[in-house]
Amino acid sequence: MIFSLILNYRKTLCSGLFFVVLVSFLFSESITSSHLAVLPIFEWMETTWFGVAGKTWGALFAVVQAGHLIGLGVLGGSVIASDGRLLGLFKGLPMRLVVDRCHSIFTWSLGLLVATGVFMACGVAIKIYYMPVYWYKMLALALGVLFVFFIRKPIVDRDLDKVSPWLLRLLALSSIMIWFTVAATGRWIGFS
Amino acid sequence: MNQLIYNAAVWLDNTEWSTRIHESYYLYNWIESTHVLTLMLSLGILFLIDMRMLGWAFADISANKLATRLNTPMLLGFVVMFVTGILLVYAVPVRSAQSVWFRIKIGLLIICAINALLFHRKMTASIGSWDFEPRAPKALRVGALISLITWSVIVICGRFIAYDWFDCNYPQSDLIRGIAGCIDGQTQF
Amino acid sequence: MSNESDSKSRDENGAGIVFAVGIIAFFIVYWYFEIQSVRELLEMAYG
Repeated sequence: MIFSLILNYRKTLCSGLFFVVLVSFLFSESITSSHLAVLPIFEWMETTWFGVAGKTWGALFAVVQAGHLIGLGVLGGSVIASDGRLLGLFKGLPMRLVVDRCHSIFTWSLGLLVATGVFMACGVAIKIYYMPVYWYKMLALALGVLFVFFIRKPIVDRDLDKVSPWLLRLLALSSIMIWFTVAATGRWIGFS
Repeated sequence: MNQLIYNAAVWLDNTEWSTRIHESYYLYNWIESTHVLTLMLSLGILFLIDMRMLGWAFADISANKLATRLNTPMLLGFVVMFVTGILLVYAVPVRSAQSVWFRIKIGLLIICAINALLFHRKMTASIGSWDFEPRAPKALRVGALISLITWSVIVICGRFIAYDWFDCNYPQSDLIRGIAGCIDGQTQF
Repeated sequence: MSNESDSKSRDENGAGIVFAVGIIAFFIVYWYFEIQSVRELLEMAYG
């Protein structure tokens, strides 16, 4: 009985376990040692070509930043259109097509954001390493990526008429919340 | 003309709220963050519509419906961008008015506004005939491409405003001083 | 086959609910503490 329950709900249980492990890690002592352990990676990032270029050419860094902002705009646009449709907005637009087409735009813009983001991070690696807001952003980003590709996608790929509209609304709401947090914490890195 | 712009900027700079905004760490940053984050609502949705016209995305969705339904959030985004943009200029008026990048940005914004007006007119006139075609007619495609390129350059210019490469308080070439509208012997920057 | 896909769907829905609730909780907790810290700083500055 229990075995079949575990087998039938393994994804649900894994998701729950993931959050339990994540919260325990965040409130444990090991977060400090893990933070210290990744310092050499950030020191190395500043010595890479990206790190040197980002620090040497202010104009290049600014153009990449602008690319990051354009990526943010497009990613946000696709999230608003797709999740807005799931929330019941933009009536008259076919939900299936909007969700599918927005997903590919989302993936491309996420690719642009990660590429430009890595470049920017290399230029100011040590600075961001000591910023709590950078780590909150990375946590939100990791949650967002896992959520979109492993949780939301398999559900919205099904026949949308057969999925509870409340579940779709819940997914849309959490998607908007997580991507807003990723964007807002990212913006705050620039001010700190 | 440059003297007039400078005098107006100095007058704005001396108002109480201009000082309040730029000296308040949180208020200025919140206005700027709102300006940047609203890119998702304004520019993001505009780019989706432009991509539909060019046939790069949503090719199987009615172009008219997509543009109409997404119009409201996009316009809402542009209103917020406009209001927060004005507040940002009001907070730092002299430096903004004499920024090469800000001046280019304003020029490009005017081009975008004219382009959007022409685009809207052509779209309304022609919509019935190609609504479900993957690509819009050539005139609309050109409009969408102009919009994509110009807005991308606007974002770059907006980002460059933060850098002081061409500020009037540093020695600059005559060309830069001319474009920026630096005033000989100016005391406020 | 249908039973199998029903059970798969139920599992996916369950994971969806768990993740959505986790994200909403993270959102509320994160922004609550952010707003609190800003309020404390403003109170320190202006009383």
